[in-house]
Amino acid sequence: MKRFKENIKKYYKYAKYAAKSELKAEVANSYLNWVWWVLDPICFMIIYTFIVQIVFKTSEQYFPVFVFIGLTAWNFFNTTVSGSVKLVSANKAIVTKVYIPKYILLLVKCFKNCFKMLISWALVLILMLLFKVPFSFKILYWFPIVIVLLVVTFGISSILLHFGIFVEDLFNVTNIFLKLVFYLSGVFYSINSRIKGVLRLLLLKCNPIAFVMDQFRRVMLYNQIPSFKWLGIWFVIGIILSAIGISIIHKYENSYAKVI
Amino acid sequence: MRKKKEEKEIAITVKDLHIAYRGLKKFSIKKSLLHLKTSKLEIFEAVRGISFEVEKGKILGIVGKNGGGKSTLLRSIAGIFSPDKGIINLHGNSVSLLSIGVGFQPTLTGRENIYLSGLLLGFSEEQINQKYNEIVEFSELGEFIDKPVKTYSSGMYSKLAFSITAILETDIMLIDEVLSVGDVQFRAKSYNKMRELIDDDTRTVIIVSHSSETLQSLCDEVIWMHEGKIKMQGDPDEVIEKYEEFMKVKK
Repeated sequence: MKRFKENIKKYYKYAKYAAKSELKAEVANSYLNWVWWVLDPICFMIIYTFIVQIVFKTSEQYFPVFVFIGLTAWNFFNTTVSGSVKLVSANKAIVTKVYIPKYILLLVKCFKNCFKMLISWALVLILMLLFKVPFSFKILYWFPIVIVLLVVTFGISSILLHFGIFVEDLFNVTNIFLKLVFYLSGVFYSINSRIKGVLRLLLLKCNPIAFVMDQFRRVMLYNQIPSFKWLGIWFVIGIILSAIGISIIHKYENSYAKVI
Repeated sequence: MRKKKEEKEIAITVKDLHIAYRGLKKFSIKKSLLHLKTSKLEIFEAVRGISFEVEKGKILGIVGKNGGGKSTLLRSIAGIFSPDKGIINLHGNSVSLLSIGVGFQPTLTGRENIYLSGLLLGFSEEQINQKYNEIVEFSELGEFIDKPVKTYSSGMYSKLAFSITAILETDIMLIDEVLSVGDVQFRAKSYNKMRELIDDDTRTVIIVSHSSETLQSLCDEVIWMHEGKIKMQGDPDEVIEKYEEFMKVKK
């Protein structure tokens, strides 16, 4: 724990700078690239809205905003988790030349995706205005929910980062699993109103990403307060996962360079 | 020859160092499903029991043929590999590994890569700001410094890499065959820079090189590594003579 704190202190500036320059590099490659950060979720929102409203003839209140919130949370989780599997080998050039605590690489990734997510959240606010969603002070609960999302994502990613180095095809497995989670998470349907009984409880509470999405929608769209008990539980689970991930990485990180 | 210090201060201690590439073989889920038998572990010991000490301010050269464990040794001193057995003690000194093609992010500009590498090596932003102009000047990149690194020629790439590590000075420098970087002129310049760095009494340097000339003119002591072990250690001229003899015989 102490080592973790010291490393964070030492490499925090690097992480920030690296995230910034990675974002810059993405924009520099093509001047329209940052437009895709915005355009990509909007297009998917339109696709899902079309499919659900026209093909399946169902809907939720403020459906486009509903989908957009789901996509925003999902995109952050998805890119960070799937990116973490190959993170160390993607940074081979650095890892084989200097010592760096490997979770700093993950932190860089988190910062970068977090920034993109914030842009996406700004769009959510604009959409809320467009679709005349009533604003209430409960939107402030957004902060604790985002923190739970960050902690859980970091925890899962840090563990995957370790195993991604030794298991060659973990990337394929993770992607299939993520796809499954995507459909189970209710990005474009409401678990609350479509699924009944024990299954609903299971899907909503045992899947952190579905839970987080649901909480976002509650506080932003439906003027409800979040479930503090479950937020607390997932926060603690996220911290435990992160602690496990970090201690595994501490223990094995110096062998990584031998393998990749 | 430089003045010898009265009291000997040790900068690097390596004791009975073993490094093996073992048990860390990658496996895939597909393969382990298809072949339920566990595959044999391949053990390759790159470094097999090495001990030496380097005094502060000294220059140690390492020779040996390819695959002799030289680079592995350097990397483990730099903290990139963990030793399987044995101790590496740097006595609190900062260390950097200088080798051809330090890890740059190819889409970023030279300027950003200078900052990234500097921060990675543990320097603060202010320290890099101070040295920034010197680095750019030394690297001879001119306006290319604001172009993405992927547009650089391989020579420019190595020049920048060399300049960063040479100018951002650490207590211990590990140099992996880098003196042959760039064109003739830059090579001379970097050789002089190396001399300058090396003549600094507080800096400890380990050089891995195949160039007998370089080693003979720069080093205080030379270690000859052969198949993971120290075959000979001592005065540069003697060791290199023996080494060259050995290599000739093998031909």
